[in-house]
Amino acid sequence: MEIRVNPTRMEFNRLKGRLKMAQRGHKLLKDKRDELMRVFLELVRENKNLRTRVEAELSRSFANFLLASAVMSGETLEEAIMYPKAAVTLNMEKKNVMSVNVPKITFLQGEEQSSDAYPYGFANTSGELDSSIATLAEVLPSLVRLAELEKAVYLLADEIDKTRRRVNALEHVLVPQLKDTIKYISMKLDENERGALVRLMKIKDIVRGEDSA
Amino acid sequence: MPSNDQYAYAVGRVRAMETRLLDRSKIDRMVEAKSAEEALKVLGESEYAEYLAELGSVHEFEKMLDYELRRVYLELRKISPEPELISLFTRKFDYHNLKVIFKAHKLGEKRDELLVQEVGNIPLTELARAVSDEDFRNLPPQMRQAAEKLSEHFRMEADPQLVDLLLDRAMYAEITEMIVELDSSFLKDYFIYLVDLLNIKTYLRVKRINRPKEFLEQALLPFGEVNMMKLVQLAEPLEVLVDRLMFSRYATVIEEGVQAYQKTDTLTRYEKLADDFLIKYAKQAKYLVFGPEPIIGYILAKENELKLIRIIMVGKINKLPTEEIKERLRDVYV
Repeated sequence: MEIRVNPTRMEFNRLKGRLKMAQRGHKLLKDKRDELMRVFLELVRENKNLRTRVEAELSRSFANFLLASAVMSGETLEEAIMYPKAAVTLNMEKKNVMSVNVPKITFLQGEEQSSDAYPYGFANTSGELDSSIATLAEVLPSLVRLAELEKAVYLLADEIDKTRRRVNALEHVLVPQLKDTIKYISMKLDENERGALVRLMKIKDIVRGEDSA
Repeated sequence: MPSNDQYAYAVGRVRAMETRLLDRSKIDRMVEAKSAEEALKVLGESEYAEYLAELGSVHEFEKMLDYELRRVYLELRKISPEPELISLFTRKFDYHNLKVIFKAHKLGEKRDELLVQEVGNIPLTELARAVSDEDFRNLPPQMRQAAEKLSEHFRMEADPQLVDLLLDRAMYAEITEMIVELDSSFLKDYFIYLVDLLNIKTYLRVKRINRPKEFLEQALLPFGEVNMMKLVQLAEPLEVLVDRLMFSRYATVIEEGVQAYQKTDTLTRYEKLADDFLIKYAKQAKYLVFGPEPIIGYILAKENELKLIRIIMVGKINKLPTEEIKERLRDVYV
């Protein structure tokens, strides 16, 4: 299908410019897509590993917690952990990956805090709770990293999707359209030219006939 | 202290109640049950039958334990000639409530569902008022001192662990004082053993999380026989601890418990052995005919039973292997 235009030489030149531009854009976008794809795959792989690890550790922590809840009464257990002790600071920044703003979270924790995450006393609590809390404290940095990764993967996937649409639109719609239109104009122009030539020859014949008559 | 025959009626009642405690065979049937529902059904033939109908699902079994705990304490308080005897064991609920109210107040939250109702000695409204007005004058002296120290501390720096540490210590101080007044050697020994076993466990836990000596000193309860601070340094290997306690009455608990701890890095075995040790001690009360001991024995037996049911139910609901449940099961009193 072609674009409806006036088959003029000016239009012809304009369209040729547009075609060139579209082809260059297509190439650039394709490169962008490939690079995004590469980064994406890398992140996905890391994400997958991290997730399996975090999930394993979390389930370990939950198992310990379950055992703690078996030997302590519900109220005592809740009381022991109702007031969290450890404090962490999270810093959010933006990182630019192929013009996608992915979050970058830095995790700050006081030095002695990892051994100091226990907000309860020892007389009323079971030792099983310690292991649960310890695992949780250990897994927290990975958990934050996982959040960062997953968001990045999500944003990248979105961007890849958009880029791919653009590439496809250029490749399969705009470029062929422009090409068709250019062809149409050039044919039309040629046709006009031939028409004019014929007309001129015709006129010449007539003029010559009148002369000889 | 009232003479021993004043206890005749109470002991008679308790003996009758004792027969309704769950025995080993019922506990074993619960453990072997295929599902949580089936395990609960075993309780249908016991004192717990009346609660079973009210439970919407097995997940509400904690409610049943709460009811039972409350019922037992309220009833014992009625029949005991010395109410102090019972309040000795219900102190922990007051301290628990104070901890909850204090922490909730500092967090600006309301966590009333965590409070233990009725069985405490101090009305909840009084505790709530004391915390919100920072006026602890009406509380018992040990509790008051600890609470005042705490609220002083919280003005500068909030450390929730301190709430537990200070109040736990105050509680044991208060209990020790009460025991002196009650003048019962059975009780005195029981609490000394309890504190000693707790202190050894605390030592192991503090050692594991690598905290300094000062912290250990703060976490230990200075009301036992074994002085952990003198006995062993934090940096010393566990064998030293085992050696030093080899000839104490805790030898069996320590040896097996610590060994299991070194092997598996969990205190499961130790906790079970320590509880068994205390229950075994409490069993002596079964052979005494007069005096407060049978009542104390019954309280301990009941608390142990509630613990057993909880372990089994949590295990069954979460489909833990039977082995893992058995590992944690304490001895029974009966």
